[in-house]
Amino acid sequence: MFNNCFPFSAVLGQDRVKMALILNIVNPNIGGVLISGEKGTGKSTVVRGLPGISKSKDVVELPLNITEDRLVGSIDLKKAIVNGEKGFERGILYKAHNQILYIDEVNLLSEHIVNILLEVMSRGVNVVEREGISYSHPSKFILVGSMNPEEGILRPQLLDKFGLYVEAKGVTDIEKRMKIIKMCMDYENNPVKFSLRWKEENNRIKEKIDLAKGIMQNIKIDDGSLVFAVSLAEEGNCAGHRGEIILIETAKAIAALNQRKSITKKDIEEAASFVLPHRLKDSITLETKAEPLDDNKIEDIENDMSSDNNHNETISVYPSLESSLEKESDLSNQEEIKESIEDIVQGNQPLSINIDFTNQVLNEGSGKRSKVKTNSQKGRYIKYTFPKGKVKDIAFDATLRAAASKQKNRDKNGLAICIKQEDFREKVREKQTGATILFAVDASGSMGAKRRMGAVKGAVLSLLNDAYQKRDNIGIVVFRKDKAEVMLNITRSVDLAEKCLRNLPTGGKTPLAAGLYTSYQILKTDKIKNPDSLQYLIVVSDGKANIPLKTKNSLQDVFDIGEKIRNDGIKTMVIDTEDNYIEYGFAKDLAEKMDSDYIKINRISKTNVETSVKNLLNINK
Amino acid sequence: MDSNKLIYPFTAIVGQENMKKALILNIINPKLNGVLIRGEKGTAKSTAVRALANIMPEREEIMGCIFSCDPKDDTFWCEDCKKNTNKDIKINHRKMRIINLPVSATEDRVVGTLDIEHAIKKGEKRFEPGILAEANRNILYVDEVNLLDDHVVDVLLDAAAMGVNSIEREGISYVHPSRFVLIGTMNPEEGDLRPQLIDRFGLVVEVLGEKDRDSRVEVIKRRLKFEKDPEIFIQEYEERQNELSNKIENAKKILDKVIYSENCLRVAAEIAIAMGVDGHRADITFMKTAVTHAAYRGDTKVNKEDLFVAAKLALPHRMRRKPFEEGIIDFDKIDELIEEAVL
Repeated sequence: MFNNCFPFSAVLGQDRVKMALILNIVNPNIGGVLISGEKGTGKSTVVRGLPGISKSKDVVELPLNITEDRLVGSIDLKKAIVNGEKGFERGILYKAHNQILYIDEVNLLSEHIVNILLEVMSRGVNVVEREGISYSHPSKFILVGSMNPEEGILRPQLLDKFGLYVEAKGVTDIEKRMKIIKMCMDYENNPVKFSLRWKEENNRIKEKIDLAKGIMQNIKIDDGSLVFAVSLAEEGNCAGHRGEIILIETAKAIAALNQRKSITKKDIEEAASFVLPHRLKDSITLETKAEPLDDNKIEDIENDMSSDNNHNETISVYPSLESSLEKESDLSNQEEIKESIEDIVQGNQPLSINIDFTNQVLNEGSGKRSKVKTNSQKGRYIKYTFPKGKVKDIAFDATLRAAASKQKNRDKNGLAICIKQEDFREKVREKQTGATILFAVDASGSMGAKRRMGAVKGAVLSLLNDAYQKRDNIGIVVFRKDKAEVMLNITRSVDLAEKCLRNLPTGGKTPLAAGLYTSYQILKTDKIKNPDSLQYLIVVSDGKANIPLKTKNSLQDVFDIGEKIRNDGIKTMVIDTEDNYIEYGFAKDLAEKMDSDYIKINRISKTNVETSVKNLLNINK
Repeated sequence: MDSNKLIYPFTAIVGQENMKKALILNIINPKLNGVLIRGEKGTAKSTAVRALANIMPEREEIMGCIFSCDPKDDTFWCEDCKKNTNKDIKINHRKMRIINLPVSATEDRVVGTLDIEHAIKKGEKRFEPGILAEANRNILYVDEVNLLDDHVVDVLLDAAAMGVNSIEREGISYVHPSRFVLIGTMNPEEGDLRPQLIDRFGLVVEVLGEKDRDSRVEVIKRRLKFEKDPEIFIQEYEERQNELSNKIENAKKILDKVIYSENCLRVAAEIAIAMGVDGHRADITFMKTAVTHAAYRGDTKVNKEDLFVAAKLALPHRMRRKPFEEGIIDFDKIDELIEEAVL
């Protein structure tokens, strides 16, 4: 729409981004670019400046809030109503044919739209069968996407469709930065004048591209280059054959830009820096790569085994052990009455919470954990459906289109259109739903021992990071001394949660029952407020409850509440921090009672916590 | 515009100098990309934003254009105004307005949608403009911006970045200019904003309740007086309001003429590198703020005071690199860099 975009040639410092885009214009077979980078690096500015350096290519934007009908095209309403004819009204996919299709914030695009895009891209044809219309047209385009990885990742299938991948980074050279500020201010003061100044430079690039395009057909590829490309792709352990094919196509474009008719090894190497980064299988295996077994690990395993044995024995005898347990913790109470605040032991690998949403069909609430179809009248309208029962959320456009084709034989009462019951369509909305995650953290004296709390903080913090990306609601309940305290009511502010965790003191007894009860109440209220979001309770404790709530048996209280929680359908996870020579395994029993996921933090160390939590969560998926 | 008369006067707000300054600078130069006001409840956040209505300068718009296109600048005209170039353009003088975006707003109301009435009566599709259309060349005010639905935030981001709202939905395909000053208020206790959205706000100010006892007393006094008889109270401040309006108008006039030395740019770049900010928005906004502040002072040359103010308003929120690292800013370092510079 606006021909005075910031000129392509005036964008400083994003040479690789510019190069990747130029390569695609020279050779559309490359299959597009994904630009990933932090905010404010001129990602979209470069793309929007593209028409200035290309004669034949225009940038067609795909806005995030697009609906299906505008993407694929639909019935021409006016033609249908006024002339009674069925006509096709072209959508974005038609407009994008032979052009550049640009999706800003592509990682936030609706799932349904992505599916359509994937299908059209693999066929190169857009087939429309809807509203009594049958139409198909070719739709081949250069797909350009930009995204900020802070906002979430891209679906692998879509990621793979992008031929090239570049990262946009801020410039660190001071002189260049000064220039950038100056140019931006000049541009804003007078876009027209500024664009004129750069016209010549834009034209120079344009000519270079045209020249390269001319050479493209004549480029010869020798077997040696093919072998080299294949070996590079193999080395990177890329899935499928797309990697090497795009490598060759990109190398061709690079050679053409340098006005050569044959490709060199260097061309392929340069191409690889654009083609391979997002295809490397290694980056995935890196995270799950097993650590070599060291002595510590072996000891852990042995410990595990012995604790299992202990556990088996204790199960039958724990009522009698209870008294001795209380004594023990009383003792430790006297010793460790002092409060202490432990630092967070931070790991280098982030943990992630995978919550299974498969059995939740309809969800409301905003968050990113999962994109779900919602039946509340909120969320992004993506397509229509036939209403079941009473029509609540009318999709007017779809209803009109449905009615339009039947207007010939209807009595319109002086209006332009007559809509009948059968024409009604309802909106299908999609909404990102987060979960409510409540941490119930044991801050009793026993947790302070052996620096256990630090590791726990590290683990929880890592989970919090993950929760941020997925836009979950977080809350923290802490139990110590003789009561449970709501440290942080359910909130979206993960920052607050983190601060609260950082300053968490330990010391005192273990009122586990009270902790669970408070958590239960909070989650129950949350469930009433957000009926369709998922409640998740993560209990961090060693299970050695020694303050009862209702009865005299503190453990029985814990189990009773645990069962209540389970019966209410709240998903739970128990992180067992028990680390004594004699292990009672109460936390494990609790986990069984609540039917929850269970992990044990043995021999506290950060890698330990992380791998175990991670493994568990992966299994959980 | 009767309701405007009974708005608490902007100049009667006690303290909160940073917030007031940030708001004024944005009115002088809408290209600063807005303000985010973060603070506890009851710190005059909303009052200040609403009070802007009365000190807003008048400007020209094309008569009858729903997007309030600027008759002088055809680069950002809407489709209709572009088509109309041959005919005489009638010009309307009107104040900049504050357009509210309620937290409960649905996406179709924000971006615009199909005009149903027109479709049923005439069988034609027509675009019904939404809030983003109204917001063009005005202030878009989102109270409790942190509570906004994620998908509405995405749309806002898109429009704010591009200055354009493009619609491809509900059978409608339409593009219109949407260049607005985004003003958001939020209480951080209720959850934070996504960093991506924070970055789109040109300036960010943190407001705290006044700590000084005398000021606190003054706050109550004025408020009580206003509530007792708003009209008399407003009259009392009329002179001050006019003074500020004039100052803003004058600043707008000289804004284009403000010059800055090469060393100002150097300071901006140095600070950005030293602080490790994401991207380039920090330094660009920093310079724009400094220039605007110079104009506000009635000067045409950027001086150190302007740089100090700009650093305080444009930098803090861009320092945080990850959601958890607190934005601890080494302001001494920044001050030092500015202090050392020879402008």
